[in-house]
Amino acid sequence: MILDLDRAYQVMSTARHMDERMWRLARSGRAHFAVPCSGHEAIGAAYGLALQPGHDFVAPHYRDLAAMLALGLTPREVFLHFFARRDDPCAHGRQPYAHWGSRKLGIVSLQGPQPNHVTHGVGVAWGSKLMGTDQVTWISFGDGGAQKGEVHEAMNIAAVHRLPCVFCVENNYYTQSVPSRLETAQPEIGTRGAGYGIPGESVDGMDVEAVHSAAERAIERARSGEGPTYLEARCYRFLPNTSNDDDTRYRSREEVDAARRCDPLLLLRQKLDAARADAVDEEAITVAAEAAEWAEGQPAGDPEDVLEHTYAHTS
Amino acid sequence: MSTHTLTLLDAVRESLAEEMARDERVILLGEDIGRLGGVFRATEGLLDRFGPERVIDMPMAELAIAGVSMGMAMRGLRPVAEIQFADFMHAAMDHLAGEAARLRYRTAGDWTCPLVVRTAYGGGFRGGPYHSQSVEAFYAHVPGLKVMAPSFPDDAKGMLTAAIRDPDPVLFLEHKRTYRAITGSVPEGEHLVDDGRLRVARAGDALTIVGWGMMLHEALAAAEELAALGIEAEVLDLRWLLPLDREGLLSALRRTGRLLVVHEDTLTMGLGAELCALAAEAGVLRAPPARVAMPDIGGIPVADRMEDAVIPNRRGIAEAARKLMGERDSSPLGGEVPRTARGRGTWYDASIPEAASVVEVALPEAHLEAVVAAVAEACAAVPECNATFTWEGIQLHDQVSIELDLGPLSPAGGGGTFTLVDYGASGSLLGLPAVRPGQTAALRVGAVRGGSAYLALAVDHRAVDGAAAGRFLAALRQALG
Repeated sequence: MILDLDRAYQVMSTARHMDERMWRLARSGRAHFAVPCSGHEAIGAAYGLALQPGHDFVAPHYRDLAAMLALGLTPREVFLHFFARRDDPCAHGRQPYAHWGSRKLGIVSLQGPQPNHVTHGVGVAWGSKLMGTDQVTWISFGDGGAQKGEVHEAMNIAAVHRLPCVFCVENNYYTQSVPSRLETAQPEIGTRGAGYGIPGESVDGMDVEAVHSAAERAIERARSGEGPTYLEARCYRFLPNTSNDDDTRYRSREEVDAARRCDPLLLLRQKLDAARADAVDEEAITVAAEAAEWAEGQPAGDPEDVLEHTYAHTS
Repeated sequence: MSTHTLTLLDAVRESLAEEMARDERVILLGEDIGRLGGVFRATEGLLDRFGPERVIDMPMAELAIAGVSMGMAMRGLRPVAEIQFADFMHAAMDHLAGEAARLRYRTAGDWTCPLVVRTAYGGGFRGGPYHSQSVEAFYAHVPGLKVMAPSFPDDAKGMLTAAIRDPDPVLFLEHKRTYRAITGSVPEGEHLVDDGRLRVARAGDALTIVGWGMMLHEALAAAEELAALGIEAEVLDLRWLLPLDREGLLSALRRTGRLLVVHEDTLTMGLGAELCALAAEAGVLRAPPARVAMPDIGGIPVADRMEDAVIPNRRGIAEAARKLMGERDSSPLGGEVPRTARGRGTWYDASIPEAASVVEVALPEAHLEAVVAAVAEACAAVPECNATFTWEGIQLHDQVSIELDLGPLSPAGGGGTFTLVDYGASGSLLGLPAVRPGQTAALRVGAVRGGSAYLALAVDHRAVDGAAAGRFLAALRQALG
């Protein structure tokens, strides 16, 4: 299916403007924690628009705000989560921002330690296969997470049983402050799938069309029972790791500025009508502002609820 | 309900097979569980019966076995993962303790994880440091998990069935020595034990011994040794390690007042510490609690005599129980008093405000039965004298339980509601009895001289006033006619 570029831009622009607003809110002390997505929007928008929302499953990376929007979380819901409000649909005030989750939307609850959700995603995919459905599970994680042992275990199992999933490593070349050269001696991490017998490719993660095209191929393989695919999407994180990070300690401004010249939104704008893109940006700014203001005014997470939900039945 | 005799291992397998037949969402995953039937043969025959899609031989990857099973559970299946040895659970702990246990809470019930992880734990078969561990304390500290440890075959079947149907993640601990050593009657067909309550494995009122797994059976053997010494120990099979059956434990301790916890897991920060703390906080103990556990060592050695030296056994349990029975008692009234003879039941509390009253009655030399009957009648007439102090207040009893103190060779055993002291012809003419701490009255019969004897009633003045004592003696005289 051809990617609707206007729709992709709308998702990416909304994510970007929400991201910038969240960054300012957290840094000014009005929220606990921001986890930027700037620089990763093309990847999220691409796979979010390639999946069937509410049918397929995702075990997402914490930088995948764009995917969450494409799959159906609304900006207001995202800000409820961001502000840890009572009605936060992802975690009901229990988890910090960017710990996505929605059973209704097939978004597997994301945990703190990265990237444990990779293994959960493999189990979800296995469940779909055993149930005989055509549902695909998209599993995304960072290049930092890719170094962890359980990713190896999970990919190996997915390959052995030809499970309907896609592994997508979003390579921004840093694990918070630790650069690629200290993560791995083989920087071509897009080739790793071969070691498991999993086909894969490495794509420009700033190019939403390239990621979407690769995502569609991988999803189709999974849906038709041919097993998992391993994708590397190369990108760059424009802001610090989180609102608690200081990236000037480990990367130069020149490096960041150079990366910003490959901004995925700028790349996509070149393919769009400028006036149309401007209008989308204007609307995204308004949507982000309205959603943030509305959510900030919603009831906070309620201490009355704090003892609930440890077990299904309390004895 | 018809039953058959199975080993605990057979009972585990029967539950798995019946649940797989009942619910096609039940999937087994583990290392060597298929063609081999599991290293202990718990899944023997299940591959042939249910096929490789539902009995899945996994790579040697405990972390992923737990994590993938969790994903399956989130997806709507009912996975039952086997970790061959509890020693290998540490690799899986991130997904069990960090993820599965927290999923419901962190999503406020949006996502749930009906997962079972079975594992074989415990030593005693020369497995060495990495095939012998007990891991329950790690997981019983994780809210959101349930931890089950059956000791008998019927529970192994009924509790595993409950675990598979449970909406929350369960760690199911199977003591590997019980697999073949413990045989028992097991209901055929559906058998569900999901009440979350401990099981009284042996009745007794002198002290309460709590255990699970193989230690429960060692405790039962110790209880038989103790019975030969006249100590009737109650033995409780805790079996649900999380959530704990607090009320079951405390109601037992309200009767016995003495707690001995036995576990094969190491001592410090073990479950024994929690059980002792629970009992201490509730104020139900009459003596300091005791624990018998693996010493705090870095592993279980493989050499026969080295392993035998560290795994708790019936001798150590019986010894700890005897020590507990001879310990200094602290009464619910707050006075701590020494026993007059170690291991004997005669004791007193100098802080009890006693009052005494003496009457003379006609009495033959052989009078014990008549006096016991008369005391029972008097107790029924004046229940203040047939009462015990509890932490809630003074409790009057309908049943009369008379403790007989017949002299230094046959002292009172403890646990009754009234004490009768009669040293017979060898006794003195007049002695005032001591009110046993916890009771409210005692009667001493003096030596018979010339067809009559003095009866001395002592009461705790906080429970029995002079008028009641008078009524008691009047009722006594009338009954002795």
